[in-house]
Amino acid sequence: MRGAEVSALVILDLHNHSIKSDDGRAKVENYCQWISKKGIGVDGFVLTEHRQFDAESDYRPLEDEFGILILKGSEVETDYGHVLVFGVNDEMQTAFDFTRIGLSAELVVREVKRCGGIAVPCHPGRTQVGMLAHVRERGAVDGVEVIETLNGGSRGSENDDAQSLAEEFSYRGIGGSDAHIVSHIGRCSTRFDQDIEDMDGLVEALRTSRYEAVRVSS
Amino acid sequence: MSARSYESVEFGEDLPEVEPDVGMENVKRFCRSAMMYGPRFTDHEKAKKEGLPSAIVPGIMSQGLLGAIIHNWAPGCTIKSIDTVFRAPLSVDSKPTCRAVVTDKDDDTHSIEIDLTIVNEAGETRVLGTAKVEL
Repeated sequence: MRGAEVSALVILDLHNHSIKSDDGRAKVENYCQWISKKGIGVDGFVLTEHRQFDAESDYRPLEDEFGILILKGSEVETDYGHVLVFGVNDEMQTAFDFTRIGLSAELVVREVKRCGGIAVPCHPGRTQVGMLAHVRERGAVDGVEVIETLNGGSRGSENDDAQSLAEEFSYRGIGGSDAHIVSHIGRCSTRFDQDIEDMDGLVEALRTSRYEAVRVSS
Repeated sequence: MSARSYESVEFGEDLPEVEPDVGMENVKRFCRSAMMYGPRFTDHEKAKKEGLPSAIVPGIMSQGLLGAIIHNWAPGCTIKSIDTVFRAPLSVDSKPTCRAVVTDKDDDTHSIEIDLTIVNEAGETRVLGTAKVEL
């Protein structure tokens, strides 16, 4: 939420990839080691694997060992670019095919919401895989409430362009590192003013809480 | 035999950064050696006609530069693999920085994993990847 600085209760890095993603090179355990060793100021992170939801992996032992919250979402590919999906459940996975490239963004946003989650277009300022250029060509996508305004992999003016888009359409903004290698986790995150303990809590917070995208330093 | 022992390496250890020479003359020298004759590597204007921002450093040259960081740090080590993702073109005549950091240690095999990045003057990642190394 824009405006006064959010008093932080929880800082989460909302966009990362592990070796489960085709272009991910990081093991989740090494992400935890890195955060711990380097003193990165995040309380947890979300794994948003490309075109899939990793239902099987159980990271609770790592959460216990490192005291870090590890949540799982997804990053799907739509006709308006890539979209983070939080709150994935069985019903949502039957509503649309996560593996498909070129999903209808409107369908994804609508179905994710209907199934109890929230869809967040990511790196919107990026050419082709971001929402901005598509919005300029075809108009905004109904139902979008939140976009990623701070992405750790952005180049040039991509983050500034994302922020301008958020201001133009009154979207709220989140931050995520978009890490694909261990040492990139924790570059960008989202600061919330309420405690978050699980994915349900994150979805609720993204809908109703105060939060802001932040750069994190060790 | 590596100049660095497995035991002496720490998780999170930074390897010394390198600012490699990716000037046109050096890139041309590499292309001649590698028999890569595409003008996209050696001619800014022709590269632009292909839709690139400038002449670009060949991917295998970037991989070689990253491999050199590791060998400079631990002469005699064995690089078992280098796996790179080319996020954006690396311009010839730019002033990039190659960085590497230890991000995994395997006590069973005494091998380590290293994160590798090449960033441009703006700090933007152009190439990223990992290497598996035996010491």
